[in-house]
Amino acid sequence: MTDLYTWLAAAAERGTLPDAFRYAFFVRGLAAVLLIAPLLGGMSHLVVARRMSFFSAALGHAALTGLTIGLLLGEPLNGAYGGIFGFCSLAALAMVYIKRHSALPSDTLIGVFLSVTLGLGICLLVAVTKRFNIHQVEAVMFGSLLTVTDTDLLLLLGLGLVIAALLARIYNALLLDSLDSATSRVAGVRSGFVDYLFVMLLTAAIIVSIKIIGALLIEAMVVVPAAAARNLARTTRSYLALSVMAALAAGIGGLFLSTRFLVPTGGAVVLVLSSLFFVTLAAGWIRNRIVG
Amino acid sequence: MEDLPVLEIRDLTISRNRRVLVANAALEVARGRTHVLVGPNGSGKSTLLSAVLGLAEFTGSIRFHWRGNGRIGYVPQFFGVDRTLPLTVAEFLALTRQRRPVCFGLGRGQRAALEALLARVGMEGFLHRPLGALSGGELQRVLLANAIDPVPELLLLDEPASGLDESATRRFEELLVEVRQSCGAAVLMVSHDLAQVRRLADEVTLIDRGVRATGSPTQVLGADLAASLALGASYAAS
Repeated sequence: MTDLYTWLAAAAERGTLPDAFRYAFFVRGLAAVLLIAPLLGGMSHLVVARRMSFFSAALGHAALTGLTIGLLLGEPLNGAYGGIFGFCSLAALAMVYIKRHSALPSDTLIGVFLSVTLGLGICLLVAVTKRFNIHQVEAVMFGSLLTVTDTDLLLLLGLGLVIAALLARIYNALLLDSLDSATSRVAGVRSGFVDYLFVMLLTAAIIVSIKIIGALLIEAMVVVPAAAARNLARTTRSYLALSVMAALAAGIGGLFLSTRFLVPTGGAVVLVLSSLFFVTLAAGWIRNRIVG
Repeated sequence: MEDLPVLEIRDLTISRNRRVLVANAALEVARGRTHVLVGPNGSGKSTLLSAVLGLAEFTGSIRFHWRGNGRIGYVPQFFGVDRTLPLTVAEFLALTRQRRPVCFGLGRGQRAALEALLARVGMEGFLHRPLGALSGGELQRVLLANAIDPVPELLLLDEPASGLDESATRRFEELLVEVRQSCGAAVLMVSHDLAQVRRLADEVTLIDRGVRATGSPTQVLGADLAASLALGASYAAS
């Protein structure tokens, strides 16, 4: 990887590439964005179809709590994956289990989980800040290019491929189950299996993306690409393609804004993504007026 | 060999939150026949259908005597498709007919097969329409197309004509008769519309938290008690 960074830096020195490529952290950040965008953008249309937008917000907050637990248990600030994955998985499985076994509306249930995890996270954060600088923790909350390592990229690539392969296998069943659970059961879909598997895949995707997007903003990356795509898409195929394109455009655009104006990467990505949503909303309205 | 019914229900009791919704129900659905469940709102008709589909817990027995593929076709009462979801009729039908994720497009030969399937329910040319843009009657016909392919041995319909206007209802009924004759499936259907029951049913079972009467449409709907139970107050007014 060092050779690649050196080669890109030399190309930037020659003026062949933008100046930002002189810095290895930027190249790692760009690579992370190029991996995260298709992963989260691709999953976002399923998140929206399964009405799990609020669920993703709860997972982001649970990640913050998981981070504090990991740090308190002695994990390094730059790799508290054990704490984050453990706590997020527990919260995700508990939410799905209770949703499937209670008559409570799912948004109410997720609201309860979100409050509990956030309350716990904030309390534990006080203990964490006695050992770590609050700015270091902020990087995880809002996302930062500086913290991405080569190991993170390999993890992102490996997990991304596994998640994509598993999603491709259950895609049709997932979509049918999102439309009507009785029809999907009659078609032989094991509703519980696809439900639990999808939340675990979503949890894994969110965890490996948190370093760059940030725990508090990750929800945007799994909801807004699909929302923007929905304004224009007419088929599932175009829905997926436009979701991924929106996530990629926001990821790359946000990264450049972040380095240019020295603002947190997650915030910049989300701002570009939100702009895309409003642009596609307007484009959709105009198209509908013209086409009728 | 004894001609066993496709579906045999014995001593079926379904409870939810300690409340008995259906008690000690028994019925049989014969091969190639249309069996309609009637009864007032909340009488347990759809709940009974849910139990047959394996969606509700019950005590007693529900037995299927399959001779062929053992497939159940199902048309739900409500199919709450999100009107803004970018999903075409072709993609919806392909969800259960191809392994390849529908977001990567239709499989080879799938388009022609789906066109032929839609033609069976009078929906030629609707392949690329968004599912959410269909009218109630069009959606019901697409759901029927989905239910009849591959050919089922048992077709379950939960008030398939609810929300349809009279012409759409009649069109749906004609289609149902055609489909039943062509594939020979047994049909178990829930209906509120007694005129429709008279037109379609071979057998009728009156449900009101249990089986109150069963027999031919004339026998069951002819009895004053049964008719008043089946009609309910709102129907009596009309």
